[in-house]
Amino acid sequence: MFAQVLLNGVLIGGIYASVAVGFSLIFGVLRIVNIVHGEFIMLGAFITYWLYKLMGIDPFLSLPLTFFCLYIFGFLLQRYVINKIMEAPEIMSLLLTFGLSLIIANIALLAWKGDYRLVNPEYAGAHLNLASLTIPYIRLSTFLFALVSVAGLQLFLQRTDIGRAIRATSQSKDGARLQGVSPALIYAITFGLGAAVAGVAGSLLSLSFSVFPAMGGDYLLFSFFIVVVGGMGHLPGALAGGFILGILQSLITNYLSAGLTYIIMFCILYVMLIVRPTGIFGKGIVE
Amino acid sequence: MILIGLLKVERVTKNFGDLTALDAVDVTLDKGVILGMIGPNGSGKTTLFNVISGIYTPASGQVHYRGQTITRKRPHSICRMGIARTFQVVLPFSQMTVLENVMIGALYGSGLSLREAKEKGIEVLEFVGLKDKIHTVPDNITTHDRRRLELARALSTDPEIILLDETMAGLTPTEIEEVLDLLREVNKRGITIFMVEHIMKAVMTLCEKIIVLNYGQKIAEGAPQEVAENEEVIKAYLGDRYV
Amino acid sequence: MKIPVSAKWWAAIALVILMALAPLRISGYSLRFITFIFMWIGLAASLNLLTGYTGYLDFGHVAFFGIGAYITGILMLKLGIPFFPAMFIGAIVSGITAVVVGIPTMRLKGAYFAIGMLVFAEGLKHVALELDGITGGGNGLSLPIYTNYVFFYYIMFSTVLLAIGITYWFERSKFGLALMAIREAELAAEVSGVNTFYCKLIAFGISAFIAGIVGGIYAYWMSFFYPGDVFNVLTTVHMIIMAFLGGAGTILGPIIGATFLAAIEEFLWAEFKYTYLITVGFIVVVVVLYIPRGIVGLIREKVFARS
Repeated sequence: MFAQVLLNGVLIGGIYASVAVGFSLIFGVLRIVNIVHGEFIMLGAFITYWLYKLMGIDPFLSLPLTFFCLYIFGFLLQRYVINKIMEAPEIMSLLLTFGLSLIIANIALLAWKGDYRLVNPEYAGAHLNLASLTIPYIRLSTFLFALVSVAGLQLFLQRTDIGRAIRATSQSKDGARLQGVSPALIYAITFGLGAAVAGVAGSLLSLSFSVFPAMGGDYLLFSFFIVVVGGMGHLPGALAGGFILGILQSLITNYLSAGLTYIIMFCILYVMLIVRPTGIFGKGIVE
Repeated sequence: MILIGLLKVERVTKNFGDLTALDAVDVTLDKGVILGMIGPNGSGKTTLFNVISGIYTPASGQVHYRGQTITRKRPHSICRMGIARTFQVVLPFSQMTVLENVMIGALYGSGLSLREAKEKGIEVLEFVGLKDKIHTVPDNITTHDRRRLELARALSTDPEIILLDETMAGLTPTEIEEVLDLLREVNKRGITIFMVEHIMKAVMTLCEKIIVLNYGQKIAEGAPQEVAENEEVIKAYLGDRYV
Repeated sequence: MKIPVSAKWWAAIALVILMALAPLRISGYSLRFITFIFMWIGLAASLNLLTGYTGYLDFGHVAFFGIGAYITGILMLKLGIPFFPAMFIGAIVSGITAVVVGIPTMRLKGAYFAIGMLVFAEGLKHVALELDGITGGGNGLSLPIYTNYVFFYYIMFSTVLLAIGITYWFERSKFGLALMAIREAELAAEVSGVNTFYCKLIAFGISAFIAGIVGGIYAYWMSFFYPGDVFNVLTTVHMIIMAFLGGAGTILGPIIGATFLAAIEEFLWAEFKYTYLITVGFIVVVVVLYIPRGIVGLIREKVFARS
């Protein structure tokens, strides 16, 4: 039924938005295409999975821990590895993050094997019935948490001093210095934040989708789509892009065939890159 | 041979979103002249150069060179026709030697063969004073030399007009004198010079005519002395006086 | 210390003769392994022609390998066209595709071009999966089997010679200088009279043509392939690492990089099946951080005096 398909799309769209904002933020401030983004999502999902499986911690309760762990990981990764190529040509950062992604994903594969896992708390099946629409509680809560993380990030950037410094840095490298903070620190903090939000998104995804070491790749592609459509570095755009992707995917899977999802997504992405690289709102960064 | 109106910029307007970088600007450049363009930062000078050299297409207005409309032409065509330019922040080809840098202009701007381009390259480098740095890479030469390289590369395209964007920023007084002499030599060889400069001394001594831009509009035009005493100009600079 | 030019030439000729005569003495596994290395040299050299000389990083270069493979396969299987014409047509189609795709995509900067090409390659993979009437879809394409390994050795070798020859031409010609100027400062090249749009497209077309040849040969050599095999992003990654490890923008770079990496992987695959991708990742990281100019660059810096 159309309304249900649409609703499903919206609910998943919110989560997709939270998947992409970290990627968008990192590009907006550091100007790097962070291929490790997929792995941040994967690691977040696994943290939630293992905490639930081994210690029975409720997946929603472990979110702050995921946030914290991925923040530290991202911060250190930028500070000690990625920072070295900040001045180098763009393709170097693309290659570097690709190499890191290979390492992390395959260590995870070695450690945890390729089995597909799912986080399945007892309340997983419960749903809300509203005017002939079925709304699974899990989908609804992850949707809300996703929106909260996006809003939280945006508020942080707009209202706090560090957030201001981050925004200043995305305009120009000297923006940070003018605020009295070193650019290197801002880069590390921003990268950590991007990783943390991606990790939380991964945790939320683990409740509805399979968790496995290679899962990052697809979500990375989704993130590309979302930020190109919404505008690179433009957080509200990531929200719009997320919803567009969610709804599109839901419609295509239901009314056409699942196999076409990727092709259509790629076509749109391609056309956007060529015709309107600044995204639907025109606020994306193209330089 | 066109003497008057070799280059004509007619009511050129260029916008970037809400920002009007150029507002119906008119410029006429006659052959053999040295024309200066001054104005506060952000007044549109580099934008005008970008429009003339084909990097930007204006929202309205036309650019004519030798009677032909070149407004929509690509930069490489405009270069081959005879208009060369340098950049404010120099753009050398870092992994290539000084000679190879200049050869690009000779090969593609002038359309010479490899052998001819090499000869021309050496000749131009000698002219600007970089003969002993021919096989060095741009990273290993001074800023002043890099400016000279930029000029040499522009000259190797065999231009009729050369657009110079702040060639003298950050140079010592001695270096400025050297560049002034060099430019006088360039002009003596028949090349028309259109230059953007902040170093007032250079502009005043070298240029026969000066135009002033402010917020994308041409606010004054005339001989150096006239322009220096123009109230509008003084106001625009808020106290920037001829030293 | 400068090695005289003639010595370099003699060494090269000696090597070519050696490789040309090798099948008289080696066979079986070794022969196939060297053919395999030739394939990677060809692919790395193909990517190098674009990325090493224009600076445009094509993260979807495998697309042209795949196109070569599929066109060759389809022409041979469905239209009964013999191998050489089929392969040649496949390569031409690859080259033309690159030019067509390049027209809109090369207007994009750095990372956007890379992503655009990645998306293109991934999209082609899915197209190959969907058009199963023509391509066999997920079940792949099976070609008539031809097991003359010496034959494949020689055509891969010839392809390598072709690729290296074109690279040499890039290094020495007026055209090559224009490409390097584009790589260093595209805007400055444009205002100095270089028709950057045209030059980039030609370089792209040539590089795709080579990848297409390799793809065509691969199809016939393996006799069987499927979308995930010939449109695999890991293939692109290998090409990129090999070119950069050896030294992007040099003639020897792809040769050294491909030989080195292919040899390492062969060893790792035999000994440590699961850790080989981790090692590949480490090599990428090490190259980017510590040897961005590649092995050739390293040698040039340490051994030869720089003026």
